[in-house]
Amino acid sequence: MREIDAIIESYEKAKNEGRKCVLATVVHVEGSSYRAAGARMLVDEYGFMTGAISGGCLEGDALRKALLALDQNKNKLVTYDTSDEDDAVIGAQLGCNGIIQVLFEPVDPEQEENAVELLKKADDHQQPVALVSIFNLDKTKPQPGTLVMIDQKGTQTGRTDQPDLSKKIREVAYQALDRQTSHFGEYHLPSEIYHAFIDIITPPPTLVLVGAGNDAQVLSEMAGVLGWNIIVADGRPTHANSKRFTSCQVVVTNPGEIMENINITEKTAFVLMTHNYMYDLEVLKLLLARDEIPYIGILGPNKKHRRMLDDLAADGIQLTDEQSAKIHAPVGLQLGAETPAEIGLSILSEIQAVFTGSSVRHLRELSGSIHKKELYEFETIKL
Amino acid sequence: MKRANKIYLDYNSTTPVDPRVLEEMLPYFNERFGNASSVSHMFGWEAEEAVNLAREQVAGLIGASAGEITFTSGATEAVNLIIRGMFMANDDTRRHIITCATEHKAVLDTCKFVEQSGGTVTYLPVDKSGSIDLKKLENAITDHTILVCLMHANNEIGTIHPLKEIARITREKSIPLLSDATQSVGKIPVDVNELGVDMITFSSHKLYGPKGAGALYISKKNKPGITPILTGGGQEKGMRPGTMNVPAIVGFGKACEICSKEMKDETNRLSPLRDQMESELSDWDSVQINGNLRNRLPYMTNLTFQNIDSSHLLLRLRNLAVSQGSACTSATQKPSHVLEAIGLPDDRALSSIRVGLGRFTTEEEIEAAIREMKDVIPQLKPLTQ
Repeated sequence: MREIDAIIESYEKAKNEGRKCVLATVVHVEGSSYRAAGARMLVDEYGFMTGAISGGCLEGDALRKALLALDQNKNKLVTYDTSDEDDAVIGAQLGCNGIIQVLFEPVDPEQEENAVELLKKADDHQQPVALVSIFNLDKTKPQPGTLVMIDQKGTQTGRTDQPDLSKKIREVAYQALDRQTSHFGEYHLPSEIYHAFIDIITPPPTLVLVGAGNDAQVLSEMAGVLGWNIIVADGRPTHANSKRFTSCQVVVTNPGEIMENINITEKTAFVLMTHNYMYDLEVLKLLLARDEIPYIGILGPNKKHRRMLDDLAADGIQLTDEQSAKIHAPVGLQLGAETPAEIGLSILSEIQAVFTGSSVRHLRELSGSIHKKELYEFETIKL
Repeated sequence: MKRANKIYLDYNSTTPVDPRVLEEMLPYFNERFGNASSVSHMFGWEAEEAVNLAREQVAGLIGASAGEITFTSGATEAVNLIIRGMFMANDDTRRHIITCATEHKAVLDTCKFVEQSGGTVTYLPVDKSGSIDLKKLENAITDHTILVCLMHANNEIGTIHPLKEIARITREKSIPLLSDATQSVGKIPVDVNELGVDMITFSSHKLYGPKGAGALYISKKNKPGITPILTGGGQEKGMRPGTMNVPAIVGFGKACEICSKEMKDETNRLSPLRDQMESELSDWDSVQINGNLRNRLPYMTNLTFQNIDSSHLLLRLRNLAVSQGSACTSATQKPSHVLEAIGLPDDRALSSIRVGLGRFTTEEEIEAAIREMKDVIPQLKPLTQ
């Protein structure tokens, strides 16, 4: 399950049981940290935590800060400097070297557009949206909080008290959505300064497993841990059923009808793994007809892939360069995988790399920062 | 803050607490009285939060990050912590410290302790403006030098040491540089990174905060080994254990925040008043102005009156709160060590006063002070004149 989903689930539960909550959001990181801006954690009034804002070193203190925010019923911004080796607050040293800003917001369930409700709306959206948290690095000033969500059409949900600021943020958020990168802004109003973190929240990838064998079962469970949407399609009701695939959408269908049930986005991956050559080939033909599909994986050896290409050619289908580029056959990364779970790991790793545009290398071979950090600086925006 | 007829012109000695600072502090005496180290309940968390905010405000004034600030009871304690702490942490049997003749007693007396404990100290001389010779500093550094300790602005004559140039020398030789910035922080811009100092100390009550709080900045990049003087509950990362003085720290933080915002305007307002006093007195009588006139604090002055009987100087200037010599040594009628160091003979040193303007000084007060001096000084001239 994704962190956002887990947070929303905990929030709903707390809301039903009348427990108060605080949402903690990493709104800025300078230097290196385990979790980047956008990491979130929900703390309820008994100190139960869902999600994480660090690798574990900040949670203890963050819990106290959350409860204090709840008690004072006031948003607060807390700075954690993990570059300070002697800091007793950050007990376990990760050897990180970053300055992390965490925004704590008590959540009022009565308020329709509170921070978690907005997060929920963002998560429910089928397209990427921008969720805006407004704060102030000057802690003597009020911390407005997570107030606004903006979608790709420019529609705004929620509001701030300041129309000018709101308008400017909407513009910047709209551009950030276009670039698909989060944004940190320092907004200079005539008499005050605000900071805003525009978090681009994208729907999780969709993994379409064509084939419902035991290996697909393992793969779907692993993708479930990642919080991905999973669709399983197979012609055999004995295999494709909700008993074997508990948290997936299951489609029992002929190859020809598979596409009817699937909404394809830029993050939809197909993996052909029916172990039935003709079924895989039929589906592949259909997939090739859809240019918007970004990833097609085919389980099986190179020999099978070559045979498929030959059979397609015999049907008069010559693959374009774009089509060849998105076909990953044999599917997966070279990880020495043997068991179904290991193969699943290799497949999911490949899809993750393709969707994030990452080259597959050992991190130790990387000279720069692990996370994409080039955009962490606050852009000064004058109003 | 005002007392009938009395004009306070000793802001370099101490300052009144700004009303905005006092207001910020008050709830922390009773309503929010928690111990900042109590991690198990709301009272403690609230106090800790207040201390953290103050730490950011204090750090903000000197361009440091909050983690680089250690709270102490004042600058004297902070200076002791560094000099004694570094002396103890260092096992070189020929430990050597470099300082200068015009330092505050907090430094000089602690250096005396170092000498009594087997260390050696070089006291750099100063010229008549109170400035050191950087060549002499460079030459004084030996393989056994563990610390260079040079104040930023002098508390008696206001002369500002060129810390940036000093730091260039100490950094090149990898010697930690400590600077007592008690007189400069809050009055002139102090940016620790720009100056390149490794440690500075300063105090709350010199910048309109309460007495009983001070700060020690230690650069996280160039942190020397320091053995804490006190042992106890681990507060301030073990550097300065002991329950934190939360109300004073809160006030210190607020005071620093106000200085960050108002320092420039304050200088623009007060510096001309100081200049007016200096020029009116110089025009009227042969008054000597001490210190480095090209590089000194913007609204204080040290004046030497010529040919007067100094024994009753302050008693006669009874409506003016000014100091003769520095406040810390003024219990005795000894010429100030700073004025001595810049070469003033005893009688001239004793005929000198320090006038320190501050946030609540008005133009009327300066005019009244000038009138009073013009009235009193001639009466102190020996009859033979």
